[in-house]
Amino acid sequence: MNNWNKQIADMLADGTVALVIGYEEGSTPQKTRPLFCHDAVAAERLVMDGRCTHNLAVYLTKKELLPAEGRIGVVATVNVLKSALQLMQENQIPEGRFLLMAVGPEGKLTELPDAESLRQYIAAHPLPDNPEVAALIEKIDAMSREERWAYWQECLSKCVKCYACRAACPLCYCTRCIVEDNRPQWILPWASTLPNIEWQINRVMHMAGRCTGCGACYAACPLHLPIHLLTKKLTQEINREFGTERPAKGNVLSTFSPDDKENFIH
Amino acid sequence: MDENKAAFEPRIIAFVCNWCTYAGADLTGTSRIKYATNVEIVRFPCTGRIDFMLLLKAFAAGADGIIVSGCHPNDCHYTSGNFHARRRWIVFRGLLDFLGIDVRRIHYYWVSAAEGAKWAEVVNQTVAEIRELGPYTEYKKVANYIEETEAAHE
Amino acid sequence: MSKIGVFICHCGENISATVDCARVAQAAAEMEGVAYATDYKYMCSEPGQQLIRQAIREHNLDGVVVGSCSPRMHEPTFRRACAEAGLNPYLCEIANLREHCSWVHEKGEATTQKAIDIVQGLVEKVRRNQPLTPIRVPVTKKALVIGGGIAGIQAALDIANCGHRVILVEKEPSIGGHMAQLSETFPTLDCSQCILTPRMVEVAQHPNITLYTYAEVESVEGFIGNFKATIRLKAKSVDEKKCTGCGLCTTKCPNKKIPGEFNEGLGTRTAIYVPFPQAVPNKPVIDKEHCNYYQKGKCRVCEKFCPTGAITFDQPDQFITEEVGAIVVTTGFRVLPTSFFPEYGYGRYKDVITGIQFERLASASGPTMGEIRRPSDGTVPKKVVFIACCGSRDPAKGIPYCSKICCMYTAKHAMLYQHKVHDGESTVFYMDIRAGGKNYEEFVRRAIEEDKVNYVRGRVARVYERADGKLVVRGVDTLLGAQQVEIEADMVVLATAGVANPGAEELAQKLHISYDPYHFFAEAHPKLRPVETNTAGIYLAGACQAPKDIPETVATASGAAAKVVSLLSQDDLVREPLVAVVNRCAPPVYSTCVGCFLCQTACPYQAIEREEIKDRQGRVIKTVAKVNPGLCQGCGTCVSFCRSKAIDIQGYSNEQMYAEVNALLNHE
Repeated sequence: MNNWNKQIADMLADGTVALVIGYEEGSTPQKTRPLFCHDAVAAERLVMDGRCTHNLAVYLTKKELLPAEGRIGVVATVNVLKSALQLMQENQIPEGRFLLMAVGPEGKLTELPDAESLRQYIAAHPLPDNPEVAALIEKIDAMSREERWAYWQECLSKCVKCYACRAACPLCYCTRCIVEDNRPQWILPWASTLPNIEWQINRVMHMAGRCTGCGACYAACPLHLPIHLLTKKLTQEINREFGTERPAKGNVLSTFSPDDKENFIH
Repeated sequence: MDENKAAFEPRIIAFVCNWCTYAGADLTGTSRIKYATNVEIVRFPCTGRIDFMLLLKAFAAGADGIIVSGCHPNDCHYTSGNFHARRRWIVFRGLLDFLGIDVRRIHYYWVSAAEGAKWAEVVNQTVAEIRELGPYTEYKKVANYIEETEAAHE
Repeated sequence: MSKIGVFICHCGENISATVDCARVAQAAAEMEGVAYATDYKYMCSEPGQQLIRQAIREHNLDGVVVGSCSPRMHEPTFRRACAEAGLNPYLCEIANLREHCSWVHEKGEATTQKAIDIVQGLVEKVRRNQPLTPIRVPVTKKALVIGGGIAGIQAALDIANCGHRVILVEKEPSIGGHMAQLSETFPTLDCSQCILTPRMVEVAQHPNITLYTYAEVESVEGFIGNFKATIRLKAKSVDEKKCTGCGLCTTKCPNKKIPGEFNEGLGTRTAIYVPFPQAVPNKPVIDKEHCNYYQKGKCRVCEKFCPTGAITFDQPDQFITEEVGAIVVTTGFRVLPTSFFPEYGYGRYKDVITGIQFERLASASGPTMGEIRRPSDGTVPKKVVFIACCGSRDPAKGIPYCSKICCMYTAKHAMLYQHKVHDGESTVFYMDIRAGGKNYEEFVRRAIEEDKVNYVRGRVARVYERADGKLVVRGVDTLLGAQQVEIEADMVVLATAGVANPGAEELAQKLHISYDPYHFFAEAHPKLRPVETNTAGIYLAGACQAPKDIPETVATASGAAAKVVSLLSQDDLVREPLVAVVNRCAPPVYSTCVGCFLCQTACPYQAIEREEIKDRQGRVIKTVAKVNPGLCQGCGTCVSFCRSKAIDIQGYSNEQMYAEVNALLNHE
């Protein structure tokens, strides 16, 4: 048993935390899966390595899965921490409710109790850009407009509107999504090319300046549609147009600078 | 509808703010400046109110082109609605272009309440350019669920 | 099934000349939801309005579309006609068939078809209109004026004279502001104190004005008509009720060498002090930073000598809360000190002074009793150089704007100097002379022509001290081909830039008003709403907006007062109900707002607040956004930003706009 597993088992045993969310071995050796530990014994099963790709932050806004009282520990990857920080900024995580923890290379457990410590930890552990994603975006950018339209039309016509992309995203936490709004019916509910495209445009626009780039949407898509390219592209555009710093209060699209530049409004 | 280019009359929806462009278009009228009949104006309190979904819905409903117009920067009746709108359009336009949606069909302008003549030019120029591009058939095709399904079955 | 009435106006021939009005009415009659449609020559005339009223009653109409001129013209007329017939006025929409159709197109099929489309769009919109009632907000009939300079004094008096109560808060021990420091005022050269002090006294004695000096606004909550301001009354260490203002304490205080603020450091004061002889209130305060007792624990001389026992060393700061309906911000400005200018002596040379210091030298109540004597040795300077635009219009100094008042006061200074020192020589270095204003240009000409002030057009590069101790001003004369000139000076007066007060940004944040990059407060509209801020119910006057001279300051103060009075003269504030609303729905969701509050920064009016939804036991179930209808101006920016569409705007709702857009494109 790793030292950090022991530490977490102790925290569960002495009631420091009521629940710990982490990862355990999956059904195949290549994969891990989320684990909810309610007691010290279960803590032994916790693992943390490069195979841990699920974004556990998605559970932090699911009240029905969490105990009503007590603190909840999360053994988190950097992607989980990034999403958790964003959730804090969006008023979705009550102060002190979650104890986020990172496991270092030697199995050292770091507790990150507040937004500031999260910010510092994330800044100190930058995630490398995925060269495959960047290459794919470049490839699409290089296409003619007609080719891009044909590419996405072909791609999104396959979407079955299962909304797994939405369910997997920690930042898609609305109690009523725009697709469920029927006054007006913004997006037709069935799976067909246009509503599929409209749904993706909405999903991506709603992620503007919020998306942390974890890739959970793509990972969750049963058809492996490259929808993460859309959010990634959007993030690239925002970084280019407005800089990589995000506003301390509000969002990229709910703030502005009088000096914002464009070349298409005449 | 006749898809023949010569006979093609584009359908264009203009999303405008009440305080600058709507008033500017009123001035075009009081100045009796003539312009093409292809544009229908929808009045919003402010460009900040113009939801990007409404633009998509206009295309879905059969628009061939769109005009979005409001107060010049620093002239917004609500101080900053047009600044918010500008950011929104910068991001939205980039995304649409990446998706291969024809961004040449959405024309953005600043037209003040004093620019009656500019409004007429804006309309005529947009109509001419959209006429040149032809009907937005590719979007209409995906918008028509039944036709699309039938095509898939064939 | 809705029952919409459509009324197509010919507008004489203005519409009917190019649009087939009868056909439009006919087409409208066929539209879904339309119960009645007709056309008429003049719909806005009394018979036309009667036609609408009658149709509403006869056909039980639940919505009206009038196809006529621009809604910006007759929307109020037709909405009133609907209301008279018992239909909620917000169920009436105007199809703009004149400005947007008949006047801009030739007669023909396409023009008539466009008119039909416009009507179709609005029929679909009006089918989704909701009856709305104007918003009523109660008004607390009391105003808060922050800052007791001439702007605050004028605003307070104007409001008070209209019968409303005013709270005037001043952070210094006396009201009066910069104007009290001035010697004479341009362009008439009347004595500043002579015209100001009677108004200061009037403020103190006015039954409707409550004056708090040595006080600062701590926080402000609420919204138009309903503000709650917390004011910190800084401890004066003197019981105002007991103090008679005899002034014995100030003569006995042993600490006499404190540079006095009122004399801009050219004179001294004691630790217990009245800022100047005509101060209002004329009662001293103890400056704790310089008082021997507060700093070293012993002295209490003032206490010993006070005949009424008014000295209260243990007095704490007090906090009071005032409910007010409107706020006027008149916090003024300050001028840059000489230390801002390394090239002009960086505060090293005693005889390089600012314009406001010169005012004190020229003032009969000043440290030299109105004689121009230089600070270093008290001699009368025979050569004085005035440098205009010190900092102003200089992007390199971070002040690209013109401070506006300096051209005039520099001319005045030179003139006063010449009047007082007959054999003196004065030189003014200037960039341009900006003397726009009544009798201003004449005033400057008088300085040049009658008082022989030497005006040199050019910038000053340096002021330095020669080996013999004489100041030398080196500049260029651009009217002599940029020739370098060096002028000896006994004294140099810098017209330093007017800048925002140090606390301006903090105050703006407390009040939720905007400010420009220079920390001057921003008007709601620079031309048409010059004394209003973006926060309804908060107004501006004077130099806190930008440097202003006295006439302009007083004019804005009276303007702001007029705005306040018109607000306070109403019992209820009635506002158009075209505001944003956060939805509510059945439990367990309560509202589809998820409380991310990212919309708060989208609102230019700080109208989005937090609201806790509680159960019967008072436990918080959910925190959601709430739009304060008193503050919302109805721009709708939050509506298009909200991801879950939890915010919508009345009159331009998502459902209405969506339906209108679809309907416009409905026909083949």
